Order: sequence, then C-alpha cells, then structure tokens
Amino acid sequence: MKIRTAADLEAKKQAGLRKLQPGKPRIAVGLATCGKAVGGAKVYERLHEIIGTDNPEIDLSLVGCIGYCCEEPLVNITLPGKPLVILQKVTADDAEEIVRAVEEGGVPEGKALCRIPSWDHVTGCTLTYGEGFERNIPAYRDVPFFSHQKKVVLRNAGLINPEDIDEYIAVGGYAAAQKALTGMTPDAIIEEVERSGLRGRGGAGFPTGLKWRITRDAKTDKKYIICNADEGDPGAYMNRNEMESDPHMLIEGMIIGAYAMGAAEGLIYIRAEYPLAIRRLGIAIGQAREYGLLGEEVFGTGFSFDIGIATGAGAFVCGESTALVASIEGRAGRPRPRPPRLTDIGGGLFGYPTDLNNVETWCNVPVIISNGSGWYARIGAKGNSGTKVFSLVGKVDRVGLVEVPLGTSLNTIVFEVGNGGAGGKKVKAVQTGGPSGGCIPVRLFDTPVDYESLNRVGSIMGSGGLVVMDEDTDMVDIARYFINFATTESCGKCVPCREGLKHTLLLLNKILAKKATRKDLDTLADLSETIAATSLCGLGQTAPNPVLTTLAYFREEYDALVGR
Amino acid sequence: MILEVTINGKRYRAEEGETILSVAIREKIEIPHLCYEASLDPYGACRLCMVEAVRRGRSEMTTACTLRAAEGLEIVTDTPQIVKHRKILFELYLAEAPRSEVIKRMAARYGVTKTRFFKRVDPADPLGNRCVLCGLCVRACNEIMGAGAINFINRGPYTVVNTPYFEPSADCLGCGACVNVCPTAAIDMEDIGGERVMRSWSGTRVPLAECESCGKHYAPKALAESIIARLETPLREETAKICPECRGKWIAREEILAKRGGGIEHAR
Repeated sequence: MKIRTAADLEAKKQAGLRKLQPGKPRIAVGLATCGKAVGGAKVYERLHEIIGTDNPEIDLSLVGCIGYCCEEPLVNITLPGKPLVILQKVTADDAEEIVRAVEEGGVPEGKALCRIPSWDHVTGCTLTYGEGFERNIPAYRDVPFFSHQKKVVLRNAGLINPEDIDEYIAVGGYAAAQKALTGMTPDAIIEEVERSGLRGRGGAGFPTGLKWRITRDAKTDKKYIICNADEGDPGAYMNRNEMESDPHMLIEGMIIGAYAMGAAEGLIYIRAEYPLAIRRLGIAIGQAREYGLLGEEVFGTGFSFDIGIATGAGAFVCGESTALVASIEGRAGRPRPRPPRLTDIGGGLFGYPTDLNNVETWCNVPVIISNGSGWYARIGAKGNSGTKVFSLVGKVDRVGLVEVPLGTSLNTIVFEVGNGGAGGKKVKAVQTGGPSGGCIPVRLFDTPVDYESLNRVGSIMGSGGLVVMDEDTDMVDIARYFINFATTESCGKCVPCREGLKHTLLLLNKILAKKATRKDLDTLADLSETIAATSLCGLGQTAPNPVLTTLAYFREEYDALVGR
Repeated sequence: MILEVTINGKRYRAEEGETILSVAIREKIEIPHLCYEASLDPYGACRLCMVEAVRRGRSEMTTACTLRAAEGLEIVTDTPQIVKHRKILFELYLAEAPRSEVIKRMAARYGVTKTRFFKRVDPADPLGNRCVLCGLCVRACNEIMGAGAINFINRGPYTVVNTPYFEPSADCLGCGACVNVCPTAAIDMEDIGGERVMRSWSGTRVPLAECESCGKHYAPKALAESIIARLETPLREETAKICPECRGKWIAREEILAKRGGGIEHAR
C-alpha cells in the first residue's frame, strides 16, 4: 500500500507500534556487525530454536546496536507494562534461562545492563514501556557510558528493527519527509537546514545548507545527490552502525534533500566491505518503494525520487569527492584538481551538478525538519551545532559508539564515557580523524571536540574515529601504522603523496630500527611539511598529520630512538 | 576577453580562462613542470608548478597549470617557501627516476644535485628508471589517440605504466604519441625491419607499412591505412601505398609530364 496522506502514515505508525509493543513479551537481539562479530547471531539462532516462529506467547525480533559495543551481544527484553531491559554479554547458552525468565514474567536480572522505562525517539515520539526492576537493574541514564551522551542521530539505534519500515514509522519516521514534501517549499527547507548550523559530518565541516543552496541554484535539467558511505578510517564505524541500525533515517534525509535541491536521482556510494549495511539498505529501499516513499509521486505530490546503491571496490581514496564520482562513473578512483567542484555544472556525476553529503549529515536532516532549526541549533557549541557520533576505540576501558553534543571535551569522552585506559592503564593520547588526523596528548584533553578546536591542536574532526592510546603505546610506531595505511591507500597520482609517503614510511622504519640519525628526523619533518603543503587532494594533504603531531607532542620518543 | 595578470611584479596579457602556466610558457617565465601538455586538460600531478597566488589580499599556494587567469590576479613563482618545497619534490624525483638526465638538469637549476631519499634502481625497469608517472603517455594514448593501449597499473607507490597484464598490446597503434609527450625520454621505441618495437610496452610489436616504390618502412601500417581512409580528398590509388617522400616525387613527376603534354592523364 502506498502512503499518500497523513492518515496512511498514521495507520503504518500504529502497525509499527504493535510490533514494538506487541502486548506480549518481545525479545530482540542486537544484530549489527559489532553484535554479530561476538556471537549475536548464535544467540539469535538459539533463541529461535526455543521460541520458534509465530509463537503466540513471545515475539523474537532483531535490532541494531545501541552503541555499547564492548558489552555485546546485547539482548532487549520488553515485557508488557515493564521497562525495556537490555541484557549484556549474552551467549547462546543463556538463551534457555532468558526464555524461562520471560515465561515467568521476569528477566534474568544478573545479566541486565540497564532498564529503560521510557525512551524519547526525538522525532515527536516518546515510547513508554513501564516501571519495575528498580531494585536490581540500573536505569539507562545512570549507566556512566550512557549518562553523558545525547542521542539524536542514534535515537533509534538498538531499539527498533532496522529491517522493518513499520518500526521506523512507529517512532516518528517519515513524518519529517511528509512535512517537508507536503508543507514546505524547497527554499524553506534549505533555510531551515542553514539556520540549524549543520556542518558536513564527513570531516571537513562545510555548511550543509550552503552546499544544498549552491546545488539548488545550479541551472540544469538534471542533478544528483549522493550519500558518501565510503567510511574507511581505521577504527571508525559510525556510519556503518547508522546504516545497519537505522537505514530509513538516511533514506528519509535523502528524500528531504532531493526535494529541496530538485534532484530526481540519489545514490548511496558504500564500501563493499560493509555487506550487512548494503543488505539492510537494499531492504530499506525496497520497503520505501513499496510504501511509495521512493519512486513516482512521493506522498502523492508531483515529486519523484529514487535511490540506487553503488558499491566501492576497496579503495580508501574513493571517499574523496572527485575520486568517488570517478569510481561511480566506472573510472579509476583518482582525485582531480578542483574546481570544478561537484556542485558545478560539468563537475559532478556524469557532468551534472551533484550534492555529496556524508551518511551522518543526511541522518541529521529528518530531526532538523521535525523539531526545527532552533531546537537543533541549541544542541552543541557556537558554530558547531548538533551532536557527533564517535567510535571510541583502542586502549580505552569502554569501547563503543558515543554520541555527544559538539564541544564536549576529550576528557569527558575518554574518561567519563570511556572510563579511561583499559585494564587501569594510564591514557597517553587520543588519535582523532583517522589516518588524516593527529595524536592529541592527554594534557590537551580539555580541548572541546569541535571542528576548529581540533584543527588548532594539529588534528581534525574527521569522520569520528577516536583511537585511545595508553602508556604502553609506542607513538612512533603509531605514526608508522597510519603512514603505512596512507601509503598503501594513496592513489599514486601526485608525487608528494605517492613518493613522499613512501619515503616517510622508510624513514619511520629506519627510526624504529634505531638506525636513524638526528638528520633523519629533520628530513622527516621537512618531508612531512612538503607533503602537506603540495599534495593534490585531502588524503595527501592530511596524511602527514600523525607524524607532525607525534613529532610535536612526543618528540622525546623519537629522540630516544636516534643516535647523536 | 583579454585581461592582465601580474607575475613576479610584471604585468602580462592573458586570455580569460587561460592557465597561468600557459601564460608563463608564452612569456618565457620559468616555472618547472612535468605533467603539462597544452592539448590536454590540466592534470595537476607533478606539483612542481606550484606558485603563490594573491587574490583580494589573500595568498595561497596552488598549481599554475590549474590556476585560471583572472583580472587582478598576482602571481609569485619563487617564494622562499615554494623553493623549499620544490627542492624536496626534486629530491623525490631524483630518487624515483635516478637515470633521468632531464630530472637531473631540472633539479640542478634549484641547486639540488643529491637526494636524501632511497634511490630506486631496477635494472629490469622497462622505462629505464626514468619514469616519473606524470601520466602524459597514458593520457595521450587514451584521450588524444583513443587507443587505450597503456594505462596505470596498481596504485600508490606501486603504480607503473604499461599494457594490460604486461602483455603485448593489440590496441597499440605504434603512433609514438607516448614517446613524443614523455618529458623524461623514458619510453623505448625502435623500428626494426618491418616492425615498430615498443620495448617499454611489454615488447608490443606493430607492423610497419612498406613503401611499394622505395621499399622503406614509413609508418605503422594500420595507422597509415586508417588515416588515408579518413581523408576528405582521397589519395589516388597510385599514391596510397607509397611513402610520403615517394608520393611527393610521384606528384612532381606527374606535374612535369602533364606540362609537357604527355604522361598519364590527370582526370579519370
């Protein structure tokens, strides 16, 4: 059935709510890639063996990931009138105990991570589950990993079934798209996005509304919008979880953007290494088409729009805009000089003006439209509104996906949310922005995480990877790791990146082998500056950052490795 | 539209949209470059032509081959910062193409005669350790000739140029455009008997057309045939299979005979 009116959408919403709160116990296993990697699928299979399909007593479903990855596999239990309880570190062997407890009207409290009496899905829907278990199970907001977070982009992650469009609609999904398409002009939408202060979440921080306006103003009969889902920084998997846990949020953002910019075709460029995200996006696109949310005359308006999926072939550099477009066109993914920019006539996909935004940028759009730019702009810091999802990984106690308002300090993220070093070790530094970012020493951890502050300390926001290093981490070796990554991912077009990074790697190998001299350190610094200043694209321009920042902040570790 | 740009304090006329490197080449202002070719789009890979551009009081380093002339644009070609980076780039080039005399000469002009970086010398390199991967051969072959016989293989520091799978190419026209545009004379091409041997391109061999008059091999056979087939005014049958030199002689002889009132008739 196609959704055309508000009543149609409401009917789907009610159907979705009956799935989320079926009037009988619901058990849902966290099955994003992170959950599957630690045995989530086995837990699901075992539960399925016990419960079976169409069990009149218990529903079995799946959800994405709420972000507490180090506690996975996670299992959600909803008993009618009781709080949603999240169980942690569940194994297949626990399945029988779980089902038995549920059949007896309870939950295995010893395995509980937290209880959620009610949940604000932000887009105009608060689900109330109920009260109970107060004595033995901590409330969600009292769990230190969660208490400093603000879920806006990840508002549904880990709580709804990403393979069921009804559940997304149940928590307010597609209401923003309907509001935009049936009640707002394209200009009004762009103004709203501009006023929200949303900036590109791929790392560069370009104002999204301005990019949309430039694309809208391009005078052509055809335009494209593209979602950059070529996330590839080592240790960063925010976008993967956003797509695996809540794919419809991305699709809804793209529908709104396409209408605002006047594009009839959208593409999601996603790396082939994300098979589950590709599968779930495929399912979501199919469901959206079935409901008339993609295709001809969306919401019964004159606006038509569809989304296709283009997969990468394993090249990190294809996340760069011009290389990404070349890759979609079937050419080798090698960046070219700009201008022309993608938004220019002749510069985008197949020569048409093209708007390219990161997954998380698109995911912020529905909530801006549903709650308004004023609401959104109040989150975060001046000039850096909204939240940002980070993947907090490395030698930190609590590994996972963390969503905090921009401007939150590194201290809060690493020590409050992450609980400091794993195994009680002392934290030494954090690497932000992946191979393009820098290593920030612990003495600068009062730095607020926003685009400008991170630049000031020699790093970048990047897409959201936060790799924690502790007292045992060899910072020169870390620099070598990232340079090795950048070297092998260089496209090989321009000399400073292709040759310069190769020699940077050789120099770092020489230093680590204790065969280098002080002169080699000078050469390393000179070379890094030239690579940063003269490379053709962002990959080369930022690749020396790990070397430059470790030289600046951890010089003593280099000095200890070289002779006189 | 003609406008004026300032380069190193002197004013020069430029066409709107023309690149600064093109202006500099015309005005004989030295800006080193390796990947520029007037008949191809700007590529921006060699990074040697970086200059300082000042616009509305803001200066930035950018490549002269991609920078379009605009009214009021001020260019400085050799700031201390640019010279410093260029010297390091030349050191990288000396390490990458240690056998290239062209690179040695260009680097020496900046006082760079040695490199601090590890020199890669591969005795089996089909490009004689002279290739700097500027891409001009690849682009001439693909974008000008439309042959697509060679391309980049691998990526990053492993990039090389050659034929697909390092096998002799059936697509190579033997036109020699690659040899012509190569800035470092890296490509090895030789005519041996009735064949043109592209040694650098996996030993690709292209048959040469033999002049029916003097017996000399004068052009790649397929290329000559395709060009003759495309001429607006077709060649006369007698001249289609002889070399340009013999064709000239043949036409001259015909003209003389015709003036004497004898010889073969012109019109048929």
